[in-house]
Amino acid sequence: MEAITPDAITEGTQVGKKEKRGRIEKEQIKWGLIFLSPWLIGIVIFYLLPFIASFGFSLVSFNLAVPEATEFVGFDNWQRALFSDPNVYESFGVTFLFAAISLPIGMIFALMLALLMNSKSVRGKAFFRTMFFMPTMVPLVATVLIWGGVLNEQTGWYNILLQNVFGIEAVGVSGLRWLADPKLIYFTLTFIGLWGVGNTMMITLAGLQGVPTEMYEAAEIDGAGYWRQLISITVPMISPVLFYNIVLGAIGLMQYFLVPFVLNGGNGFPDGTTNYVGIYFYNQAFKFFNMGYGATIAWLIFIVSLVLTVVLFGSARYWVYYAGEE
Amino acid sequence: MASVTIPKSRSSSTQRLSPKARQRLNAVSMTVLTAVVLFIFLLPMGYGIVTSLKTDTQVSTAGAPWYPASPVTFEYEGRAYDVFEVPVDGRIEEWALINRGRESSEFIDPDNPAAGLIPWEGRWRTLEQAWQWDPVWSNFRDAWTTINFPRLLGNTVFYAVVSTIGAVSSAALVAYGFARYSIPGKGTLFLVVMATIILPPAVTLVPTYAFFNRIGWVGTWWPLIVPQFFANGYNIFLLRQFFLGIPRALDEAAMIDGAGHFRVFWSVILPQARAALLAVTLFHFFFAWNDFFGPLIYLAGNPTLYPITVGLNGFNGLYEGQDNLIQAASLTAAVIPLIVFFFAQKTFIQGVVITGVEK
Amino acid sequence: MKNIRFLHILLLLALGALLIACGGETDEPAAEESTATEAEAPAEEAVAEPDAPEETAVETTSGDRVQVRWFVGLGAGSDEPMFAPQEKVVADFNASQDQIELVLEIVDADQAYATLATQIAAGNAPDIVGPVGIRGRDFFRGAWLDLQPLIDGENYDLSDFDPALVEFYVDQQEGQLGLPFAIFPSFLSVNYDLFDEAGLEYPPMEYGAPYINANGEEVPWDLDAMRDVALLLTVDANGNDATSPDFDKDNIVQFGYYEQWTDFRGAATLFGPGALVDDNGNAQVPANWREAAKWFYDGMWNEVFYPNGVYDASDIIAGNGFESGNVAMSHTHLWYHGCCIGNIDFTWNLAAMPANATGQPTAKMHADTFGIMKSTENPEAAWEVLKFFIGENAQEMTTMYGGMPARLSLQDSYFGTFEENLGIADQGINWQVVVDSMAFADNPNHESYMPSPQEANDRYNEFWSLLGQEPDRDVDADIDLLVEDLQAIYDAAGNQ
Repeated sequence: MEAITPDAITEGTQVGKKEKRGRIEKEQIKWGLIFLSPWLIGIVIFYLLPFIASFGFSLVSFNLAVPEATEFVGFDNWQRALFSDPNVYESFGVTFLFAAISLPIGMIFALMLALLMNSKSVRGKAFFRTMFFMPTMVPLVATVLIWGGVLNEQTGWYNILLQNVFGIEAVGVSGLRWLADPKLIYFTLTFIGLWGVGNTMMITLAGLQGVPTEMYEAAEIDGAGYWRQLISITVPMISPVLFYNIVLGAIGLMQYFLVPFVLNGGNGFPDGTTNYVGIYFYNQAFKFFNMGYGATIAWLIFIVSLVLTVVLFGSARYWVYYAGEE
Repeated sequence: MASVTIPKSRSSSTQRLSPKARQRLNAVSMTVLTAVVLFIFLLPMGYGIVTSLKTDTQVSTAGAPWYPASPVTFEYEGRAYDVFEVPVDGRIEEWALINRGRESSEFIDPDNPAAGLIPWEGRWRTLEQAWQWDPVWSNFRDAWTTINFPRLLGNTVFYAVVSTIGAVSSAALVAYGFARYSIPGKGTLFLVVMATIILPPAVTLVPTYAFFNRIGWVGTWWPLIVPQFFANGYNIFLLRQFFLGIPRALDEAAMIDGAGHFRVFWSVILPQARAALLAVTLFHFFFAWNDFFGPLIYLAGNPTLYPITVGLNGFNGLYEGQDNLIQAASLTAAVIPLIVFFFAQKTFIQGVVITGVEK
Repeated sequence: MKNIRFLHILLLLALGALLIACGGETDEPAAEESTATEAEAPAEEAVAEPDAPEETAVETTSGDRVQVRWFVGLGAGSDEPMFAPQEKVVADFNASQDQIELVLEIVDADQAYATLATQIAAGNAPDIVGPVGIRGRDFFRGAWLDLQPLIDGENYDLSDFDPALVEFYVDQQEGQLGLPFAIFPSFLSVNYDLFDEAGLEYPPMEYGAPYINANGEEVPWDLDAMRDVALLLTVDANGNDATSPDFDKDNIVQFGYYEQWTDFRGAATLFGPGALVDDNGNAQVPANWREAAKWFYDGMWNEVFYPNGVYDASDIIAGNGFESGNVAMSHTHLWYHGCCIGNIDFTWNLAAMPANATGQPTAKMHADTFGIMKSTENPEAAWEVLKFFIGENAQEMTTMYGGMPARLSLQDSYFGTFEENLGIADQGINWQVVVDSMAFADNPNHESYMPSPQEANDRYNEFWSLLGQEPDRDVDADIDLLVEDLQAIYDAAGNQ
């Protein structure tokens, strides 16, 4: 053991510092690359090449059902997507509309649960935390099917509850048609999404627990009430967590697929309101087998996501509070 | 422990109470509020359980009770007839409806069938049907066999286990490389890692699919499993953050002891990062367990390989209108993840927090 | 054990990929150019040689037998109860000779189109596909083998088929794509209990026979007569029928008429044959189908006799209108009775389709057959299988799929066996209605070819579902929009 150290020193003096550093550097690079290799290969095979090829696909008329009819069509697919296919704009439109409804509701619900789980007045928090987290573990397909039943306009329990407890005319064909009314469907999908609130709730809770108690104490002395404290201390202090949730949520919605697909096979029902970009991409590429056109839509999704990410990160410096800055 | 104080202004009456009593009142009201929210939140679960025990007849009958029940019937001359609650002379009689008519019908009294048919004036549709409590446990058995649950389960476990092994082991290697080695352009490379997290999968999907299709892998597990062995950005990011927190002194000491690079990784870094590895493993496991889109497109047409998610969706298509069977199948599919969750709850929730807060 | 070995293979593979990548790492600077050209490669490769037969496509597995893959899923046959009988067919065929090994592939109907398309694109297509109807066949237009040379080659005897039915399988450009196997005429299925309850006469069983309406008058059995009786058979929870002023549209528990499991094209054919594409390949909704859309729309929302989308999805229809017992008259194909009436506990029978504006009824037709894929390496062997299916084994297989045999010699004895298998031999069902309905088959068929069939199909389904969901539509405007959108889809298809 001890013999090594003197050896190294003598080696150092003999070979010269520069050369030694060079060797260590080389060693570092070599081993670093070895450890990085799975990812380096992966990034080329599964990201870089397909990413570029995807653009190439958007320039051909490749239909999986009749591959022999494939030909180069230039920017015809782009032309169709941008100028002559109303479904493209509509699908981005409904995606944004849905995001505008579902992100805030999801976020506020998660924050509310986290506040409850963090409140010293609530008893049995461990139990509640487990129970609120539990549905997150139910496979999403099962979640959708369970919700599809409970929101049935005639036999669903929510409508029965609303009618019998609150006296709202909810049951039946003239009542609340959660799954078929274009005005309700975004809320319905949002509620289904709430069953996955567990992760966001726990992350927000951790954020809340990181807010220094002294800040509340000081506010208390200043006479700030609960809501005042919530708005001016809690929310700013956990804004990095909220930001993280918003970014992940927004990007997730650009790929929103499973819930509408399981609910109605991705047919846009009711009245095209659930024809999200994720669904439209799937339909074109894997249902109609218009792979070339599908690749075009995928590229549009990429461009929009990129813009969205840049905008979100750009906005961050105006409202996200990072401790230790300034 | 930070806390959110309950506003004083909330209720003027509480202000007059002693602080202790006020606290208690707060505790009761907040806990009740939480319980109400939980009740509404978990209502679908209750619906699923109750519906999964209903009979087919009940599911397709308007005005059936909310609990699992079957219509009371009475056998008359070899055929079963439904029993209704018929108002007769101010009393309610439970009679079986034999001959239906728009404005008048004929009933029979199950207690006295010998008396023959009793004519009754009125619309039978306005009568309440008689129901009896009758949970159908066999719905679960039917769902289990029709969906071929053991096969789906086997496929899901296989996919989840293999892909988790691939994802975690490769991500750990790469994360270690990022955390400990200085390579020119490492910063840029790491930005690329982050970019892959945000890159919409759709944009690479068509060529990837076409390629896998070309080499004959569509309809097999390969396109789903092989890419997992090349480390995904999210896992790399989490593990790297964790590795960075492990003091360098530890691996330097081991190096001095003559340990090689892999040795250090294996016996110094990995044991130190057990919590993070466990969290990533659990996450990936459940990601794979719930994965729908990948198996949907890559396993299209090879039902023998379907995992639970895709199988369940197909089941939904086949048994449209039989909500009892659909609910039974959904609950069955949820049982295993829920069991795992209740046992590994602590690790799991901790994992969520680690991953979220490290951001 | 198996899994562990699989893992080893995976690890080896990963290692291999690693080595390859290490070799390529040296020329980092030139990477951009090389990736760009490489990237196009998979795209071109995928399309450049689609006809090049894959070695894996057809393999001779056991001994010298030629393997023939039989793909099931585009029509009947992908339901669990059909698995065993189809496997028996395979066993029977394999036992019948020693040259060919028939292999069965059953794919869930939801996934079957995608799967077959994938297999074709991968150069891994099956040899024989079916049962498949017109819709399924035309979705893969261009992929089927013209059977004419095989028929001529051995002078295959077609005299046992109705020549019109043989002609039914001819595609002008593609040739004889199939031979008659099973036919599924359509007709009315009538719930007699509901007619009895209302004290109404049953619809006529004979084509051309009149109907005795609620007032005891003899009227021709046409769409008006059917609509009138359907209104009397649409009832709310209080027992009011749809003609009553007290009728509550929001609380209907029973409907007069129902199109069992069809789409816009199928439903509209009640008003006569038509197509959504005209002779020049342009989009259209023919005048009679426009009328049909309005008739159904009116029947859903105004003078109600037909379940709208809400009721259709509700527990009253329960996914199976006729079987639910809450529908008086359902328009059904013969296949429906073969698969889906297991839980019927009421008295029922069949009736003639009502006449439409042409003065004749139209009874839309489904006809299934088996097709051989153009890409097959063993057309002769597949032809042998096809002959077995539509020849020696036709009786057994048509019964199995619930279709009426296309072979004239088998038709007489058919319904006896059919009833017995279903366990309804004692119910006195008048099967002559089915035979008579054949004469009123729709031509052109309602499932005939449209460009970009899947996308067009989605579009008109959207239209149809919209009518079912919303009470205040301008049907004419919706149809105009449908035509416009279909035209765009057809145009894009020309491009694709």
